[in-house]
Amino acid sequence: MDGIHDLGGKQGYGPIEVNDDGGPFHEEWEGREWGIAQCARTPGITIDWWRHCRELIMPIDYLGRPYFDSWAQADFSTYIEAGWMTLDEVAGAKVSTGDAAHGEPPAPLTLQQVLQEDHDHAHRFDGEIDAAPAFSVGQRVVTARHGHTGHTRLPQYARGRSGTIQAYNGAHVFPDLSAQGTEVHQHCYNVMFAASELWPEAGGSKDKVCLDLWESYLSEA
Amino acid sequence: MTDFDARKVAEIHEHLHSHLPSESALRVKALETLLVDKGLVNPQTIDAWVEAYTEEIGPKRGARVVARAWSDPEYRKRLLENAPAAIDEMGYLGKATAHLKVVENTDAVHNLVVCTLCSCYPFSILGIAPAWYKAAAYRSRAVRDPRGVLAEFGVEIDDQVEVRVWDSTAELRYLVMPQRPAGTEGMSEDELAELVTRNSMIGTDRELGGE
Repeated sequence: MDGIHDLGGKQGYGPIEVNDDGGPFHEEWEGREWGIAQCARTPGITIDWWRHCRELIMPIDYLGRPYFDSWAQADFSTYIEAGWMTLDEVAGAKVSTGDAAHGEPPAPLTLQQVLQEDHDHAHRFDGEIDAAPAFSVGQRVVTARHGHTGHTRLPQYARGRSGTIQAYNGAHVFPDLSAQGTEVHQHCYNVMFAASELWPEAGGSKDKVCLDLWESYLSEA
Repeated sequence: MTDFDARKVAEIHEHLHSHLPSESALRVKALETLLVDKGLVNPQTIDAWVEAYTEEIGPKRGARVVARAWSDPEYRKRLLENAPAAIDEMGYLGKATAHLKVVENTDAVHNLVVCTLCSCYPFSILGIAPAWYKAAAYRSRAVRDPRGVLAEFGVEIDDQVEVRVWDSTAELRYLVMPQRPAGTEGMSEDELAELVTRNSMIGTDRELGGE
């Protein structure tokens, strides 16, 4: 999706606010949202579907609101879409009476249990597939010229560009289909691009930009 | 059950834009209230997640990994070859680090990490990302004008040095291993870890303070 989220190389966002206090959360609600996102996930959800729901936030809200607000907005949308809550309930901040509401909350997790869960949730996305990798390290490749209307991880700035396979990452869950609920593994590579291949003002630069890209985004150069 | 219906989600976002208060604190309060009242979430578990990422999990973990790699050549080798296993030795494997890669700064290369498409970050080893990492200004410019970005952080990169930007487009996550400062030969791992800044592990800091 050529959405507002695809920010690489866009101009006009001004200087970076480089000073920060180093703390994880700056307002209480940010921590609450972080916690909610860790422990309330709808059945069958994938990380790519959640990301796509965040990409679908209206541009004015995506850019105009604080960062963790977009997490809350993505959560709301996944909960409503999956039938966990209704728009009316959300607008009223109140569970509808007569609904199968007021269930027993799950048992609380302690700090130690949460730390263990964080460790246990080092989720891997790679898997075995039958097909051999189409490309090898050192090979020149060119990226697809276009994306599509769904979720994809080939940013606009790196489309139709030539680069070099720098590493083979294994076969990873393909995000474009994972965002539609289908888990298929596809070979994934790290591809290095010369800055001068990506940006008109980078002629003569020795700098590089490296992206992890799936095989179907790539063709032989 | 999730239907993966993007059109429906776009409509939900428009509806929420029109019908919810714009103040983030109120929106998140409503979210938590509904989840708790429906019995989907226990608020004490939210408390525990906040505490975990405030008190326990943060950039001090990454700093300890870097300091150990500086001090122990065998560990450094393991870290560069298989970062998830190497950080697991220290109990730091976790959220978003199952496919961690460590990229090493040298005299010839400076590494910088960004996520232009969302805000991917190696949570279990660096904690919650700083605000600037998640903001449009950094996400848009890091890939296009990395030297300009670095200059804003007060980091000047010599023309002879290659800047290598890592855009986190897949489930791999990147941790920059900064160079060990000169004059730190006699320091313990604990002392070295104190020198390693969070920004140096993202790549927006380069010269760390030695003696």
